[in-house]
Amino acid sequence: MRRALLLAAAVGLLLLGLYPRVASGYGIRFMLQLFMWVALAQSWNLISGLTGYVSFGHVAFFGTGAYATAILVTTHGWPWPAAAVGGGVAAALLALLIGYPCLRLKGPYFAISMLGLNEVMRVLVSYFEGLTGGGLGLSLPTLYASVAIYYAMGLAALAATGAAHLIITSRFGLRLMTIREDEVAAEAMGIDTARYKLYAFLLSAFVPGVVGGLFARDLGYIEPVAVFPLAFTITMIVMALFGGKGTVWGPVLGAAALFVFQELVWARFLYLHQILFGAIIILVVLFVPRGILGVLQQRYRLPRYV
Amino acid sequence: MTAGADGAPILEVSGLTKRFGGVTAVNRCSLALAPGRIYGLIGPNGSGKTTLFNCITGLSARDAGTVRFRGRRIDGLPSHRIARLGIGRTFQVIRVFPELTALENLLVVSRGEREAAIMRARELLGFVRLDGLASEFAGNLSYGQQKLLEFIRVLMLDPALILLDEPAAGVNRTLLNELLTAIRGLRDEGRTVLIVEHDMKVVMGLCERVFVLDYGEKIAEGPPEAIQADERVIEAYFGR
Repeated sequence: MRRALLLAAAVGLLLLGLYPRVASGYGIRFMLQLFMWVALAQSWNLISGLTGYVSFGHVAFFGTGAYATAILVTTHGWPWPAAAVGGGVAAALLALLIGYPCLRLKGPYFAISMLGLNEVMRVLVSYFEGLTGGGLGLSLPTLYASVAIYYAMGLAALAATGAAHLIITSRFGLRLMTIREDEVAAEAMGIDTARYKLYAFLLSAFVPGVVGGLFARDLGYIEPVAVFPLAFTITMIVMALFGGKGTVWGPVLGAAALFVFQELVWARFLYLHQILFGAIIILVVLFVPRGILGVLQQRYRLPRYV
Repeated sequence: MTAGADGAPILEVSGLTKRFGGVTAVNRCSLALAPGRIYGLIGPNGSGKTTLFNCITGLSARDAGTVRFRGRRIDGLPSHRIARLGIGRTFQVIRVFPELTALENLLVVSRGEREAAIMRARELLGFVRLDGLASEFAGNLSYGQQKLLEFIRVLMLDPALILLDEPAAGVNRTLLNELLTAIRGLRDEGRTVLIVEHDMKVVMGLCERVFVLDYGEKIAEGPPEAIQADERVIEAYFGR
């Protein structure tokens, strides 16, 4: 099974690598966004799927990365790939700053604190006009690099999934899960839960930081409302839940399924798409709270690398 | 100190006090455990036994008093540090990790090389005859099996001191006898065991020395036979 999975992954990667040679502009943009969602759902999964600390403001890291990248590109003249990594670092620094107090909060309190973080960040970037352009936003120099950003975004999705694989199949990942399962028992069994949570949080903030940077470069123009949308957080949560939180491939599966679905419906019925998306959230939470892979996991005892 | 003949106590609690609002759950409690023995901790419901466990293992912050483990002060240390120093505990209510497999439940506790940890975990699973269920989610195991799993999970810490909170509760006769044999086995390996238990037969048959708590205070201490005859103990359990 492991070999088959590896083979499938290799073939898939090859096809995706060659895809820009044959694809239309729309096709590239479509895949680029799909990669973005895979990376985002995967990053949310690292903190929330594994430790059970549900982050309701994960897009705060995305927006922070977007702004950091845009500033590095426009005022410091960094090349965009380096600036995007800088965006990831900025997001991780933010996580370090707020992780220490916020990760002490449990359950809904943590979720709300993260929601608050997103609001605070949006207001902050609006306020510091000198640096961020305030409500007018920031324009990046014109650049035609869709294909390059396609690869960069693909790399981010791949790296996030690879990281998820390494973590979930390791004792580190299992220890993160003990926090979700029973934090008190985990402590009593010698697991330094505070430190583990913080590590997971930093990792899970870095990825959206990079992705936000790539998003900013791709769009060429960012403003506060566009890079701190609550809807993004909700979408990545639903994708991870739909595919199966706490698994390696669940977020990939969820992102692919829902993004394709969204594009199909969006194109035909502009308003219906939001209603349907809401309906999916309700149905998933009601009937498959573990997600697709979660259900299979429970029923067939799949190995952790699935 | 009542450490017994064999030298320095492995655990020394002195003047330990814990309050919850106006309730003093543990009141100036002192006890000393000599290494390699089995101790009992008894008392009526709400007498502070579990709270005492929580204070020793760092899950609750004490209000006063000290806890020394192998001569070193451990009060104030975080729970995970205390566990790593060699104090393992089980819980009154089962606290296995339900969506981790039985084997994973053990692996998360281990340190050092992974292969060696897996070997040790399988050995322990075999010890309580759960080897056939190694890759089953712990949440799917029966009550008794979960109890056993929690028991061997503590052993993954290789603890010098083991605190067992009602290990016999809800366990059938056969299983109980196995458990008691296992506990004696731990003692024979030189580990120290402190057991909270309501089943007097278990306490009397297993423990070499018993502490009695009532309203958070230690009201008696001694060998089981003496405790059974103790006026204050009888009063605490049955009233005057």
